[in-house]
Amino acid sequence: MTTAPTHASQPPVEGSASAEVTAIDSTARGPLLLLVGAAVKWLVIGSVLALITSIQLFKPAFLADCSWFTHGRAEAMRETIFIYGWAANAGLAIALWVLARLGGSPLRAGNWIGAGAIFWNLGLLVGLIGIATGDATSISFLQLPRYVQPFMLFAYGAIAIAGVLAWTGRRHDQTFASHWYAVAALFLFPWIFSVAQVMLLWAPVRGTLQAVVAGWYVQGAWTLWLAPLALSGAYYLVPKITGRVIPSYVFWTSLSFWTLVFVGAWTGGRHLVGGPVPAWIPTFAIGSCSLLLFHYFMVLLNLRHAFRGGSVALNFIAFGLVAYVAGGAADAVTSLRFVAKVTQFTHFIEAQQQLALYGGVSMMFFGAIYFLVPRVAGRVWASGALVRGHFFLTAVGVLLLVAALAKAGLTQGHGLNTASVSFAQIAADTRTSLLIATAAQGILLLGNLIFAFNFFHTACSFSPSKSGVPVTDLLRQPSTMEAPAS
Amino acid sequence: MKNGPLFFLGLFIALVLSWGVVMEANHQLGSLAPYLDENEGRAYPDRASGLAARGQFVYADLGCAACHTQQVRRPDFGSDQARGWGDRQSFARDYIHQTRVLLGESRVGPDLANLATRKPPYDAEDLLKLLYTGSAQHPAYKFLFHERATGTVQSSQNALKLGSGAVVPAGREIVPTERAQSLVAYLLSLNNSYAYPAETATNTVAPAKEGAHNAAAPAADAAGKSAPAHPAHSK
Repeated sequence: MTTAPTHASQPPVEGSASAEVTAIDSTARGPLLLLVGAAVKWLVIGSVLALITSIQLFKPAFLADCSWFTHGRAEAMRETIFIYGWAANAGLAIALWVLARLGGSPLRAGNWIGAGAIFWNLGLLVGLIGIATGDATSISFLQLPRYVQPFMLFAYGAIAIAGVLAWTGRRHDQTFASHWYAVAALFLFPWIFSVAQVMLLWAPVRGTLQAVVAGWYVQGAWTLWLAPLALSGAYYLVPKITGRVIPSYVFWTSLSFWTLVFVGAWTGGRHLVGGPVPAWIPTFAIGSCSLLLFHYFMVLLNLRHAFRGGSVALNFIAFGLVAYVAGGAADAVTSLRFVAKVTQFTHFIEAQQQLALYGGVSMMFFGAIYFLVPRVAGRVWASGALVRGHFFLTAVGVLLLVAALAKAGLTQGHGLNTASVSFAQIAADTRTSLLIATAAQGILLLGNLIFAFNFFHTACSFSPSKSGVPVTDLLRQPSTMEAPAS
Repeated sequence: MKNGPLFFLGLFIALVLSWGVVMEANHQLGSLAPYLDENEGRAYPDRASGLAARGQFVYADLGCAACHTQQVRRPDFGSDQARGWGDRQSFARDYIHQTRVLLGESRVGPDLANLATRKPPYDAEDLLKLLYTGSAQHPAYKFLFHERATGTVQSSQNALKLGSGAVVPAGREIVPTERAQSLVAYLLSLNNSYAYPAETATNTVAPAKEGAHNAAAPAADAAGKSAPAHPAHSK
């Protein structure tokens, strides 16, 4: 790390734009659009399920007669689709694209990505049918029946090969923060995924140790996989779009990176406060959650230029950044014993998760997709208004959802802690908040429908550009590729 | 960070360290053994019957754990015991026979760790009725039951006695499926009331002492080794 390792030291986009963009991005078109397309499709399906589960919270009889959609199964499917359908596909596409671009050479092993993506999504589909028909495992984040999980691991390996090749075949020795995050995510996920599978499903460990392993996997999947995938896109795009170097880059950014990688999975026991495990496990996790605050703080400082705005991609990333940091802070606060006493086992935990995974990770994914798709597809977005509409609906939906769930969670928590308050009373007290949460899910679904329509309209249209300007000219000025922010 | 191999080594060390935390927990929890009560001549916790063990998988695949926990916390941590969910907190030893431990993360409904010890007690009929008819808070899972005509065949001994105001037309009856029966057998096997001497000794909260909640810390470790003098059975 001798030279100033900033993204601004990259060869500038302007000037050589058409050469750089067409060589690297066009070879990646098929596989990356396949991944993003699958992600968008799952996102919409997941939003429908989220709407169903949120209705069931205040109207338990809703779809209860249908064994495929009991609340437990619908919830398991929603969570699985969100993580393995939407976030995995989108995050992998972004990480591979970032690695190819930073490596300076076209994406190799495109066929492996394509085959891996097809098998990953096929495996997911089979697994979801398995959940619906009675093979769910009831383990958070690992609900897929065990017979599809090894299959998905191999599919993941096929996709990740391209990332390994892009890393080893990079033209410069110099690496960047987005490199680190992308490579860490690609490399660490198969480890935690396979270890969790073996220890929970194939050769289950004894007693409540299962809960410890499950917690380790949940926090690991978030901090070692989904968050780094999102950050790899954000660390690439913020300097790229604003043209400003990342502040306090050299030392602090790598320290923040290693903090996340080392401490992330230590937070595994944070949901076991008061549970039937030795007390040092939650205590250690609570301490680790607080240590992670350093990482969140540094990310916020590093990427603060995102708040300059000016493009829709940046707006998404700025929103995602704030939500990511707030979600991490909420994770640290709710892990503390005196807070957990109220928030544990309530909707508040769901609010925190939605803030971190939807508001944080997904919003950064959206931002990266809005930047990536036009370049990879060689077409501008079909409708700029729909892009802005998507941003507006998603931002409002996330804020409303998190606020409503948090409110419901606090009411629920205080009710649960008062033995004289019945469950009927708690249900009545939280009803309004849960209705608002359902409305928020409706808004999010609408936003995602708009997003899906715009994406498939863009990716499948045959006219290269609506305005008649050749795409290569548009690519010289990155700003024209995106919908204007206002 | 130009050095690729060093970078990967760092990632790998991070992974191994985090896994070390899990392994340390394994060191403490992995060897927990059942406790043999010599007065009663039997070991605790009980092993679930075959029907109940199958019922646990019904519980898992229906996603019951999305709304129900199976863990009772200390008296000073929530109102678990005041609500009658158990006379003591759950210990790691309670779960050692379970193929899949379903502690749960959400309490939309009550905790079920000690469902079999509720007062007044539930019987299988109550639970089957709840599963069939549901309540304002609990969905009805009618797909766990068959409806069949009684006209020509003998009535099933398992048919639900739904009483007057029945939702079933005359000449028909509701018979729980094997899945429903194993689920109910599982629910009625949930009983963690046995007081393990070692855990009881280390987890008794000292009255009015600051930071007393940390007393739970060495529970599992001590539990595995010390030999209790006077086993007691509290119900």
